[in-house]
Parts: sequence; structure tokens; C-alpha cells
Amino acid sequence: MTRVLDVRSLRKHFPIRQGLLGRTVGHVKAVDDVSFAIEGGETLSLVGESGCGKTTTSRCILRAIKPTGGEIRFRTEAGADVDVASLDARQLRPLRRQMQMIFQDPFSSLNPRMTIAEIIGEPLLVNGVSSAAERTRRVTELLDLVQLPSAYLNRFPHAFSGGQRQRIGIARALALNPTLVVADEPVSALDVSVQAQIVNLMLDLQDRLGLAYLFVAHDLSVVKHVSHRVAVMYAGRIVEVAPTRSLFDAPRHPYTEALLSAVPVADPRRRSQRIVLEGDVADPSNLPTGCHFHPRCRYATDKCRVETPALTEVAPNHAVRCVRADELTLTAVPTA
Amino acid sequence: MAEPILQVQSLHTHFFADEGVVRAVDGVSFDLYAGRTLGIVGESGCGKSVTTRSILRIVDRPGRIVSGVVKLRRPDGSVADLTTLEPDGRVMRAIRGGEIGLVFQEPMSSLSAFHTIGNQLQEAILLHDSIGKKAARAKAIDLLAMVGIPRPSQRIDAYSFELSGGLRQRVMIAMALAAEPRILIADEPTTALDVTTQAQILDLIRRLQQERDLAVMLITHDMGVIAETADDVVVMYLGKEVEKGPVDAIFHAPRHPYTKSLLRSIPSVLAEPRSRLATISGSIPHPFARPSGCPFHPRCPDRMDICQTDVPAEISVSSDHVTACHLYVA
Repeated sequence: MTRVLDVRSLRKHFPIRQGLLGRTVGHVKAVDDVSFAIEGGETLSLVGESGCGKTTTSRCILRAIKPTGGEIRFRTEAGADVDVASLDARQLRPLRRQMQMIFQDPFSSLNPRMTIAEIIGEPLLVNGVSSAAERTRRVTELLDLVQLPSAYLNRFPHAFSGGQRQRIGIARALALNPTLVVADEPVSALDVSVQAQIVNLMLDLQDRLGLAYLFVAHDLSVVKHVSHRVAVMYAGRIVEVAPTRSLFDAPRHPYTEALLSAVPVADPRRRSQRIVLEGDVADPSNLPTGCHFHPRCRYATDKCRVETPALTEVAPNHAVRCVRADELTLTAVPTA
Repeated sequence: MAEPILQVQSLHTHFFADEGVVRAVDGVSFDLYAGRTLGIVGESGCGKSVTTRSILRIVDRPGRIVSGVVKLRRPDGSVADLTTLEPDGRVMRAIRGGEIGLVFQEPMSSLSAFHTIGNQLQEAILLHDSIGKKAARAKAIDLLAMVGIPRPSQRIDAYSFELSGGLRQRVMIAMALAAEPRILIADEPTTALDVTTQAQILDLIRRLQQERDLAVMLITHDMGVIAETADDVVVMYLGKEVEKGPVDAIFHAPRHPYTKSLLRSIPSVLAEPRSRLATISGSIPHPFARPSGCPFHPRCPDRMDICQTDVPAEISVSSDHVTACHLYVA
């Protein structure tokens, strides 16, 4: 399989300015040394609590913001290997259609004054498909792909439910045949019964079109249904990355363990003794020393307060950032 | 079992808009007991929030309670029907916040950004209790400590934007319990929070319930949260209660096709990686285009001819388990 995306030591620091002269008094280290790769046709999920840097990472990859450091190597359709992090706006333009985005909120991400045909057709128009007939043909094809009737072409977004709008958003993202799709919480604003439809649609489209997904989400149950691999982020760093089954069945980082145990399971007979994490997520402008997670970690020792753990491979494709990874026995999700 | 503290009987709340009538709540009945948690679960438009707003008499126009009874057992032993009270009257204002505490979804927008949390807490305390400013401040600090806020005597002078989402929701709970109500209504209390914070808040509500013998009414769309916290469950769809019963029966012996489909479509951390989800076909109808007969019939896998014409009546499938579906006969 070909590697579509290879992120190496990505960093994004936001300056904190203060006073009349706007002097920089510190930095918010939103993303700090993040590395991962995604193969063609693969889904990698980025999970973590709010403020962990998962959305900032995805925005850097799409170059909605410029990273502070690191490389974002993207394999173009033509087979070239380019570092997206170092390109300027003009050089980025031809790449933009190859990496697309699905947004969280289907209510604010569609222009209410444009018809469905215009919304899905706009990326085509911008990218040189000037014939109206050709655009209509392609839009109809895309509506069919996301299982919406082509009779909806000339309607406006307000006529659609949340699930239908999310389908429209997906059709727009796929209009230019991207190889990589970044989906930031694509189902978290939807009702349960509709969420299932969109999850299945995303799985089907991936199989049919060979898409690579970077799936950003906080809901670990949804993540289990869509991912090949999962990366857990905490305070700007990846603390564990593993194939989905390994991560859920045999987590190796105490934070992953706590995160998994906090997920409510829809079975009243399984009201479990969960690990309740004390305190709040680390403040990215004032990070703890050593391991960022140590103030909330129930296994922390003196070593964790001083030593910064590196992301180390503990099993094939399974890497953990914890100095005690080898000595701890952690609890997995209690299996059915 | 003891007497219920709150009884809702065939509540109907409709919205009279120019385009037509929206039957947001269309015949809902349940009882709340001290020390127990009632979960009300459903997707958007099912009427779960309008049900709480009806109980508290804060339904916005053009909505109004068309019929039904909401009986509240008062501390003096009398019983008041809240639907007959003046929404802005003295009694209703004493009940709202005084006898029934409320926690909303959005801790950011429910707290003022212009006053310290201490000021807001003291206001809530003094509204229902004339104890003087100094005593109110001391009580506010106690309340913050009770909901697990670290360093409460310093945090009392903080503004809401200085606190994390989890701490803000704790402040909201402290405020809801300021007047020592016997009923706590929590409307999606953890929806805006991370799972780890959600676990903390649900634990807190459970602990406070035990300490104070609170009757809790928890409104949510999340079946996982219901399974973790509720004793009894009401499942709603388009203003109707389609099924209600003890939590174990709802999850392990669901009767209504909607409850069954909903439970099957929930993503689970226990599932096989990359497994497809069972789906419910179609989407929730627009409130102005409410289906005839059983409101779920267009999406129902077990639909029969009668479902398109007749509204199903509620049928007891066991002593405390009720469903409204034509599949079952009395």
C-alpha cells in the first residue's frame, strides 16, 4: 500500500502576547512533536479530550494554519512526495483538491443561499470544470454516491435534515476525487439513528474509492467502528498509537486506560467500577514537567515527574509514550 | 414503594405556529420518587426538553400546556398541580429553583460572565433563603466544596470563563442545589463535556443523590448515560412516550421497535473494529409533517396496515413495563 501522508515531528505553538507592545510572554504548545503516517485506504483516528491538539493537528495538515515546525509529507496523485508544511499558498493550490475536509456541524458548513447543485458544484467550478452540463452530470453522480435522490439538486440546505446535510457535505468533499479526507467530528452533531447511517456511508465510500481518512473524534465508540488504527493525544502529544483492536483490547498507556473506562456502555448490567480521572486536562501554556500526564496518573512515580518519555514501540505497530509501559498491567474495555 | 414526589399525567404541550400545530409533547405520564433516577431518552424533536420546560412552566410562546396534570408534593405535605399555577407567580417561583433544581446542558451560556461565581451562587441562595450576605457567602463556599471544587474559598471569586467546562458544570450543580430542592432535573448535563469529565459529573450527581435522597430526572439522547445512571426509563419519539419501564427491562427486553432499533444502532466500544452499524431507515420527520397513526410507522421494520391509521394505545407488557405499539395486544 502507498503511504499517503507522513507527519514528522509536527509542532504548532501559538504565542501569548501581553501588554501595550504585544510582547510574547509565552507559548501555547497546542501540538508538540506529533508524528504518524496514513496509508491509502486506511483510517487513522486522532482521539483525546478537548484541548489535546487533535483539531490543531488536522488544521495544520490541511494547511488552514501554518505549523511552527516539522514536516507533513503528502504523496500527490502524480506520485510526487511533497512537504506540505513548507509550501506557500500558490504551491498549495493544486494540492488542495487532493486533501478535503468533512466538517462537524452540517448546519453551519453549508451556505444557506446556495442550492445543493451549487454547493457540490462549486469545487468543480473553481477547479476548471466550466461546462454547466458537465458539472450537473458530476453532481448527480455524487448525490447518487452519497445516496441522495438527484431530484434534490435545486433545493436549498434548509430543506434537509442533519443527516442529509452531512451527506451533502461529504459529496462536496468528494467532488474532486481526493486521496485524503480529514473528517473532524463528522457524526457528533447527529442523532444516534442518523449517526449510524453516516458511519456506514463513510465505510462504504472508503471501500469503493480507496480513500484515506484522518478521523478526528472524541467518541471512542464511533472510533472503534471506523478506524484501522488509533492515535491517542494528550496535551499536544501522541501518547499511544496502535491498531484498533490492540488499543481497545490491550491499552498500554494509563491515559488510554482511563479514557476507555470512562466511555459509558449501553448496558445497565455493566455499571462498572470506572477509573475516574481527577482534575482537568493539562494547560498547554503551562505544561507539567516530565510526562504531561503525571499529575492525573494513578501509576505516576517520581521518575515520571522528571523524565520526558519518548514514543517507543512496545509491540508491532504499537507505540507508547510512558516510562512505565513495560511494568504496568492495564485494564482493557471489559469485553462482551 | 413510597408516594411519588412528582407525578406527570397525560401531559400535552403544543406549539401554535402560523404553519400549523406542533404537538411537541403529546401524552406523557411518569412518576418521580425520592432517591431514584428517571431517565428520559430520545432523539431531537422527541419532546424531552419541552417536557421539562412544561413541568417548570417555562414553555416559550407560542407553546402552551394544552392538557394534563403535574402534581408536586410540597414540603408541607400538600399537593399542587403545577399546570394550574401562574407561571410567574409567587408559588411557581418558589418551586422553580426552590423545590426543583435545574441543571442545563451548556455551562458556558448558563452562567453570567459579568459576575463571579460566588455572586451568582449567593444570589441563588438569597432568593430562597433570607440568611444575610455573610452567611450566604459561607454557604456558597460549602456548596462549592460539596460539588468537589478544589480551593473553594479562593475559587468563589473566580469568573465562569476562568473555569474549565467540568468545573463550570459543578458550579451549575451547586447552584441548582443551593436551595436544597428535593428534585433535580438535569437536561443533557454532560453532553458538552469530554467522556472523562462526564464520568466525574455523573459520579457527582449519583453521590449527591444518595446524600440528599434526591429525586433525579435525567434528560439525554445518550443511551450509554441512561444505562449507567437511570433506575427507570421513558423512551420518547415525536412527543409520544413509546416505551417505559425499569432500566434493565428497557435494555434487555425492549418491546417497542423504536427502542429495539435505537439500541442496535448505538456504536459500542465492545464492537468488532470496523463493523457496520445497524441503521434505522429514513430520518426523524419534520414536526409539521407528523406521520398519521403511529408516528414511528414510516421507519418501523415491523409496520402493519393499522399503524398508518390508528394511534397505538399504551399496553402493559409486565407489571411496570409499558409500550405503545400495535404489535402487542392487551
